[in-house]
Amino acid sequence: MQLNQRNNILGALTAATCTLLGAPAVSQEAQSVEEPWKFDTAILYYGESERVTAVEGVFSATKDFGNEHIFNGKVTIDGLTGASATGAVPQPTAQTFTRPSGKDEYDIAATEIPLDDTFRDTRVQLNGQWTQPAWQDYRVSGGLHVSKEYDYLSMAVNGALAKDFNQRNTTVSLGLSYAFDSIDPEGGRPVAFASMPLKRDFASEQQYQDAFDATRLTGSDDKNTLDLLLGVTQVINRRTIMQLNYGVSAVDGYLTDPFKMLSVVNTQGLTQALVYENRPDNRTRHNVFWQTKYAMDSGVADISYRFTTDDWDIDSHTLDSRLRYNLSPNTYIQPHFRYYQQSAADFYQPYLMASDGLPQFASADYRVGEMTAFTLGVKYGVLLDQGKELAFRLEYYQQDPKNPGFDAPGVLQDLDLYPSVKAVMAQVSYRF
Amino acid sequence: MASPCELLIDTTDKQLAGQLTALAFFEARRIEQKYSRYLSDNICSKINHSHGKSVIIDDETYRLLCFADSCYQLSDGLFDITSGVLRKVWKFDGSDRLPHAEEVEALLPLIGWPQVQFDQNSVTLPTGFELDFGGIGKEYAVDAVSKRCLELAPQVSVVVNFGGDIQVTRPRVNKQAWHIGIENPETEGDALRLIRITRGGLATSGDARRYLCKDGIRYSHILNPKTGNPVTDAPRSVTVAAEHCIQAGILATLALLNGKQAEEFLNQQGVMFWLQA
Repeated sequence: MQLNQRNNILGALTAATCTLLGAPAVSQEAQSVEEPWKFDTAILYYGESERVTAVEGVFSATKDFGNEHIFNGKVTIDGLTGASATGAVPQPTAQTFTRPSGKDEYDIAATEIPLDDTFRDTRVQLNGQWTQPAWQDYRVSGGLHVSKEYDYLSMAVNGALAKDFNQRNTTVSLGLSYAFDSIDPEGGRPVAFASMPLKRDFASEQQYQDAFDATRLTGSDDKNTLDLLLGVTQVINRRTIMQLNYGVSAVDGYLTDPFKMLSVVNTQGLTQALVYENRPDNRTRHNVFWQTKYAMDSGVADISYRFTTDDWDIDSHTLDSRLRYNLSPNTYIQPHFRYYQQSAADFYQPYLMASDGLPQFASADYRVGEMTAFTLGVKYGVLLDQGKELAFRLEYYQQDPKNPGFDAPGVLQDLDLYPSVKAVMAQVSYRF
Repeated sequence: MASPCELLIDTTDKQLAGQLTALAFFEARRIEQKYSRYLSDNICSKINHSHGKSVIIDDETYRLLCFADSCYQLSDGLFDITSGVLRKVWKFDGSDRLPHAEEVEALLPLIGWPQVQFDQNSVTLPTGFELDFGGIGKEYAVDAVSKRCLELAPQVSVVVNFGGDIQVTRPRVNKQAWHIGIENPETEGDALRLIRITRGGLATSGDARRYLCKDGIRYSHILNPKTGNPVTDAPRSVTVAAEHCIQAGILATLALLNGKQAEEFLNQQGVMFWLQA
């Protein structure tokens, strides 16, 4: 056999093989390599009592181009409407607020927690992710993310590398992502601790507008986020798999919420002024995540715990558990319980005391305050032919903000400064 | 098949797994009983003891002979299923007992595929000739079994592994590849490297266990039918991935028959391969 004369015999050999095995050469290849697109769709309703209502639609498409070369593209659209807490405290009398745009006002009844009901936004998110094996025993993955809402733009890239060891019983992964966010809020970004002007305090429209403009910065601001994730996944036995992740996240830039404010109160607890909040312009957060999944004869138990700590002094603990129980070979029910607890940021203050002067940073946003939260839910799924699945999820979610140790002055003692937020979530998802 | 045979089945359906295993067992045994040269009273034995008379063959045997013929043509005579007669003098038992040159030469007139005549109904061998399906039989069995598995369970990924000759019927449901270890010729049982395979065939040819060693020279069990002697300077082991196991097997064997040029040969085929020098 002379190599130089006879180059490729594969074609002739393939023909001979197909004659031998009675298999057509091409169609079989095309048939079994070509994997169809898989789609995941879901629609979610989220409703807080008297606050935000959101509807979210997700459409995700995945295709395996063979040999574990997988593309996933996802579009998420959510619409939000309703009211959100401004950070101001309730008062024994009615209160008037200027809307973030400066163009309008709204009133809050006596003893009611001030909510800004102009919250209305539509967000579109696009994600693309490519995953494939590389070298021997490695998997690489890269992705792009763009998210746009009325006053906010977020763009992110991510990359990850995973290696299997120990006959694929151990997987070690390393992930890195970078996000750039740009914010240009309605009415401009408020100047830190600027006092909110009210129209009625000014003689003319022009004087009011000048005063309002003085509280605002023009142009957009941005923030940069860098995330690093290290993970180990270990198969413990035939039924148990365990995962341990460590992540560090560093954010730098505009981290203040332009729609949040603080009440400045006197010793009687009466509001003297309303000032816009101010947060530090960087935050470094560490988190540790541990998850165990245990396969039973009749279902799967999934329990996880997450601890996070950051240089804003917010420490949080999350305990999450799901128990999937197969009712029949093609239906299952999955109860879900989640408990969350966080400590307050060092700059969290439910209100500012007029006598204390202004701090460097302060926020009355309950989301950076001390709180506990829990979720109680259930999911019911039906497995249909050819990997299709229809599922329904119903959950109750409650956030209970807590007083991290402030002695409320005067009238504030009789008012609910830390009202609970209660929400219901309903989701229908379909995979095909 | 003279080697461990296993099926890996990607299913939770115990009953289906049982059916596939039974199907594989009976198909493999059928092929072994039909074509093993170690059994009497089968078609192989009938052909080899025909003393120059024509023997009636069935369609499967005809297709195997056609395939053997193609391999002979494609390899310019390096792959020859009449060369099995050389095993009378070459015993690859790991010892240093080499045959005498005269013994080998005496057998050369009994080798030569072109002297075999066959058509759809019968085959005729010159007196003293023998056919040996050993070079393709196991790989053929792997392909035949995997074809049966795919017919019975078109949605289930099955790995058919007969002593390292492998066929994966289709991609797994969860898209993961099967990980197949290639054995280190030196240390039996240790995987030398892991190969990811989602579908298709994989075959290894080499002298992991079958060789002779004398005066520091290692004689591979791959015999050149033209000289009657083992190939020299070939890689110790060649693993090839191809659409079907039998293709992979032929390419691996032909690579070894090319001796020093094994790698060059495989590069020209444009297939995935792994060499162990």
